[in-house]
This record gives sequence, structure tokens and C-alpha cells, in this order.
Amino acid sequence: MNKLLKITMFCCFSVHAWASDVTLEKIRIETDISAVERGAEIMINVCHSCHSMKYIKYRDLVAFGIDKQKVDVWRGNQSLDASLLAQMSESDTLQAFGKAPPDLSLMVKARDGGANYVYSYLVGYYITPEGMQSNYVYPETKMPDILSISNATEGTQRAEIQRRARDIVSFLSWAADPHAAERIRLGYYVIAYLLVLTTLLYLVKNQIWSRLK
Amino acid sequence: MRSRIIKWIDHRFPLTSFVKHELTGYPTPRNLSYWWNFGFLAGFVLILQTATGIFLAMHYKADIALSFDSIQHIMRDVNYGWLLRYMHATGASAFFLVIYIHMARTMYYGSYRAPRELLWWTGQGLLLLLMATAFMGYLLPWGQMSFWGATVITDLFHVTPFIGDQVVIWLRGDYTVGDATLTRFFALHYLFLFLIIGAVVVHLVALHKVKSSNPSGINLADKDNIPFHPYFTIKDLFGLGLFLIVYCYFVFFLPDSLMEPANNIPANPMKTPNHIVPEWYFLPFYAILRSVPNMVGGVVAMGLSVMMFAFMPFLDRSRIPGGAHFRPVYRVQVYLFLLVMLVLGYVGYVPSTNQTVLIGQVATLCYFGSFFFIPFISKAEERWLIKRGLPPEVKIQMESEALAIENRKLKNHNRSSDKT
Amino acid sequence: MEKANLSEGNRRDFLIKLTSVVGGAGVVATCVPFVASMNPSSDVLAKAETEVDLSGITPGTMHTIAWQGKPVFIVQRTPEQIKAAEASNGGIDPEPDSKRVQKPEWLVVVGVCTHMGCVPNKEGPGWVCHCHGSEYDESGRVIRGPAPKNLEVPPYHFVAENKVVIGAT
Repeated sequence: MNKLLKITMFCCFSVHAWASDVTLEKIRIETDISAVERGAEIMINVCHSCHSMKYIKYRDLVAFGIDKQKVDVWRGNQSLDASLLAQMSESDTLQAFGKAPPDLSLMVKARDGGANYVYSYLVGYYITPEGMQSNYVYPETKMPDILSISNATEGTQRAEIQRRARDIVSFLSWAADPHAAERIRLGYYVIAYLLVLTTLLYLVKNQIWSRLK
Repeated sequence: MRSRIIKWIDHRFPLTSFVKHELTGYPTPRNLSYWWNFGFLAGFVLILQTATGIFLAMHYKADIALSFDSIQHIMRDVNYGWLLRYMHATGASAFFLVIYIHMARTMYYGSYRAPRELLWWTGQGLLLLLMATAFMGYLLPWGQMSFWGATVITDLFHVTPFIGDQVVIWLRGDYTVGDATLTRFFALHYLFLFLIIGAVVVHLVALHKVKSSNPSGINLADKDNIPFHPYFTIKDLFGLGLFLIVYCYFVFFLPDSLMEPANNIPANPMKTPNHIVPEWYFLPFYAILRSVPNMVGGVVAMGLSVMMFAFMPFLDRSRIPGGAHFRPVYRVQVYLFLLVMLVLGYVGYVPSTNQTVLIGQVATLCYFGSFFFIPFISKAEERWLIKRGLPPEVKIQMESEALAIENRKLKNHNRSSDKT
Repeated sequence: MEKANLSEGNRRDFLIKLTSVVGGAGVVATCVPFVASMNPSSDVLAKAETEVDLSGITPGTMHTIAWQGKPVFIVQRTPEQIKAAEASNGGIDPEPDSKRVQKPEWLVVVGVCTHMGCVPNKEGPGWVCHCHGSEYDESGRVIRGPAPKNLEVPPYHFVAENKVVIGAT
């Protein structure tokens, strides 16, 4: 019966594949500070003009370990407690693109495929035979190809853009789940503790039940 | 000193005798397998959900303008808020997993049979309470799935005869799921905790009246019963350790695997996500809802599908004691039923196409069919087994049960003849 | 024979005790996140420090700002006020003015009466608390009871000529 239940659980997770028709590129997310900091820099210089990250405050960046002086430059005269709100107002972006750009705080968690989706989307731009810009992952997108991968033909240039996209994803992954590193670290301790405790309980159980014979 | 305090209390309150009769010395069949751990585990998960829920409520705000933000506040700013929330969310799934295994065990071993019908029915009531609580709790994060899940489920009440529209509006307190709905769901989500605790007490009182069933289905002699403590306290604690390893693995390493990505987008009443799915524990019932082409029929079928378990004591007419242990045909039936549940769960999860609708309809028929045919199959099985010859202990049990029924009839007869 | 029984009993006791200790430690550790969750969250802690721009405050006027949810009085004192403040040591709780200020022209005190926690009003040279009639001078020192202590000076430091951070020294 246990096996059957495991299979149910397995079915629930594995059928995720239908969620999007295109295959997403799988990447390894770097979680170290330098990758997140590079991603934050791109976010501030590029994405930040249209996209907000209202659940991230400048002090969160400092608390994570990003250079305080850099953050001071990014925030200008805003307080450390201010959220990373878009530079353009929502009505302006609505007029420019016909659609309000989504908040990016939870973007990695809010899409099927998570980080892989965001990465594949960022590097998924191409030029159609008609000379129009389109995206493999999300053809109806209103966002222009900000990393200009659709024009990049050289291998080194594409590799550089892909590296930048990975940095953005690193930053967005951290932003969506800022306690992930702490959670996993704590998780190892908890599981190790439970293994010890369960083993002890098993021994005690055997000892107590042996009295019956 | 301690004994004097206890003596003082015992004079006024039956502490020692209660602990002795109901906890430490409670007679328990010694042949219980690990499948009998899951009731204890369900109690543990209830405590876990209570504790995490109360602490989450200290930071949560039930207001459509604030609730999504307050969840992010819990996840980002509150000390260990992320842990409390992941524990609570994973705990909901764990609760259903444990309860479903608990029910599967009851079905497999025939534990619902006389004299444990009331025990089984209070359990059925607990399942309904649990489903309602989980459903209302799911609205609270105010994400896209929360909103549309609540919309779809409250819409089901349109099928109420004559006053359907009014009932739906009454439930929501609004024309659509809105602020009034969220606030009342929060109030009721909290209230239902107490209802569940009350129902658990009733469930336990019923259990202690009829005592635990056991894998053989045959009443054990007194010498085969052992005190609950220390034998089953330690066995349950060991089971708890195993459970916690699985639970913590999900909490710490896969917490998002049980949450729909769309629920990380704030609720938007103007746009439905492309694919709405309920949480995994509702999938089989959701599949039954979708399989019936008629709306009223679908809702009735879904309601019935949850309630079907309550009829088991009436449907299972076999005189052979217990469940699958001495009854090979019944065993196959239980396995097939579990298979049907899995198929329905799968059908509930995938987007509906002609093919999956057909599979779902066949599975729905099988689901109700497996209940409908139990009276006939169990009788036929009984005849076949008796003809084949039964083990002596089963025969003894059947004879003593037949005798008990005879005695009861005789007593009733005597009483009625006394009156005249 | 007896000896073997004894040692087995000891082993059993030891195992049960060890398991109880390990299990108990786990229960205690589990309480930590629950208790910690009731402490101020990081966004509340971020308000432990408040940055104040002083450029809008003219000599002789008072400005009230909120710091950790409490009112803080910031006064730019005129030379006369400074002289008056330095002339005395206060009354009930004597303290020289130089110990209460970092720059004589700027007085920063927590605007909470040390008696029962009311907010005193600016009246005349100092403050008067209308709850129970305590009076404070131009340095925030109590000169009339029932308040037992001078108005508290919060930790602060100047980050620029016209910018002060309250909450950290």
C-alpha cells in the first residue's frame, strides 16, 4: 500500500511536463554572493527601469552581503528601507508596452519550471523570417530583447549574454526565496538529528518489545 | 510529596485511574502492525498544524489588500516565518497523506465493521471537517490558485435546489469571492480547529469503548492484549521518527513542490490561470466532478464519492470476520479500489482532453461500482470460503457471533412477550 | 547470573535515558523558531535607527520625530538657551548640560515623561507634562516632580553637518 501511495505522489510531481510545450533549458543556479551581486547590478541597470521588486528592500541587499557602497549608489537618495520600485510609473509602462510589467520579486517561484523558465525566456529571443522579434518560450511577450541575444551571432557574444542571463536568474532566485540557503543548511542538521533519534527509538523499541517473549 | 499531591488530586479528580485505564494500561492487541501507527500520527500532525497555525495567525492579515503582502512578510521578515509557513503548508499535505493511509488501513483490515461503525463514522466526519478546513485555509494566501479554487468550489453550491444563487452569495458575502469571503474563511479556518479537536475526542472515546481492531479481524483472548505503555508508546514514537524524516525532507528541501506556482501571483479576479488544479488530496474527487457531464450530477457525485465510505458497514455483508486477512476476494477489491483512486487522481491533475474524460468516466463508474457490488461479492465470497473450509479460529468467531445474535433476538423476544 | 542481569538492566536504563535526553533536546530546539517568531521582525528592527535631516529646523524651534515608535524632541537651541542650560545642574536628577548633548546647539531627547510615560508639551523654556504636572528645563532635566529622572537622551550620532542618525552611537 505504501508503494502505491508513493506512486501517487510521484505521479503528481512528474506530470509537470505538460505545463509548457517548449522544452526549457536546464541550468544550475549559482547561489554565491558574487553571482547574486552581478545579477543585482544588471537588474538595477536594465530591468529596474520598468520592473519593480516590491518585496525586496535595499537593506535586504545589504543584509545578504552585497557591498554597502554599491547599494548606496543604487538607492541614490532613497532610504535603505525603500523597496526596489520601478523607475517608470506603471501608467507610463502600460502606455509604452500595452501591459504592466510584472513584479519580479517572486518571478522564479511564479512560473512552471522556475529558474529554468526565466533563463530560457531571457535567452529565448530570436528574429523571425519576417524580421520580427519573438520568443520561443513566451511568443506573446511584450518585453523587448533586453540582453539582445536575438542579434548575437558569434559564439563568444552569445556565451557572454547567457552568462548575464544566469546572473539575473541567480539574483531573482535569491529574491524569490531569500532564506533558501539557510533553510537547506538547517535541513541537513534536522535530518541528521532525526536519523540519530529514530535509530535510538528503534533500539529502545526492540529492547522493550523483547520483554514480551 | 509527589504521592501526596496525587492523592489529593485523586480524591477530587480520577487522574490516576484515568491514566491507568485509558493511557498506560489501555489494553491493546499485541499483533498490531505499523499500519496502526497512523492514527497517532494524525494526532501529532493536528498538534503541529495547531501550533504553526497559531503562530502564523500572529503575523497574518485577513484583508484582500494585505494578505498576500503579509504572507511575504512572514516568508521574508518574520524570524523563522518561512519555517512556520512551510511547516504549515507541508503539514496540510502530511495530514491528508496520514489520514488516507489510516482510512486505507481501515478498509483493508475491515476495521469499520461491527462494533466499530460509530468509530468509522466519527472518522468520516473528521475527514469532512479536515477537507473544509484545508479548503478554507488555502484561500488565505490570496494567490491566483487560492482565489480561483475558492471561486470554483463555492460555485458548486449553485446546485442547491431553489435558492442556489442566494446560497452562493451568502457563502461569499459578496458577488464574487472577495474581502468578506477571505475574512470569514480565516475566522472559520481557525474555528474548525476546535471542531476537529472536539471530533477527535469523540473519535477517541468511541475507540476506547470498542478497542482497537487487529490485523486478523478475530477478537483476541485477554492474554494477547498488552498495555499501551510502554509497548505502543515506543512503537508509535519510532513511527513518528520515520514520519518526521519524510516530513522534514519536504519542509527543508522540497517545500515548493507541493505548492502551485500560480499561487505566487496575487489573486486577480479578472484573469483565470490557464490550468486550475486543486491540491493533490482533492484530485480524485475533483476528477469525479469533472467526469459527470451534468453540473448537478457532478456535484452530487462528488459529494457522494466522499460519503461512500460511511456506507461500508452496511455494504460489507460477509459473516467472515475482519477484512483482507481471511478474504482473498475482498483483498483484491481493496487493491483495485486504490488503483481506481490513483487513476482518478491522475485524471484530476491533467488538463481534460476527450481521452482523459473517457478514462475519468470509466474510473468514476469503477469507483461507485466497487462500493455497489460489495454486498453481492462479499456474500458470494462468504459462500465460496465456507465451502472451501475455514480455519478453526474463524469458525469459532463466526459461531460466537451467531450465538450473540441469537441471544439478542431471544432477549428481544422475551421482552416483547413479557409486555404482553 | 545475577551480575549479567544487572548489567543488562543498566544498559537498558542507559539507552532509555539517552533517548529521552536526545528527544527532549529536539523538543526544546523545536520551540526556538516558535519563540523567535514573536520577536521583532527584520522590518521592525530596521526602524531601530532613524535618519533625520536637520536642515529644516531653525534656531529656537523644536521638531518632533518618531524613533522606534516613540517621539524624539530635537531642538536647535539659541546661545541664550545654551547659556541658561549650562548655568544650572537641573533639580531632582542633577546632571551637567554638557553630558546631555553632543553639540551644544542641538538637544536630542526622548519625549516620554519618566514618570508615567506621557508625552510632555513644549511650554516656556522647557517642557511640562500635563498628566501629573512634571516640569523639565531647556536641557530636558526634571525640575519639578513627580517625575524621578531627566528626559532620556537616545543614542545618536552626526553623519553629516545636518544629518543625525538616532538609535546608534
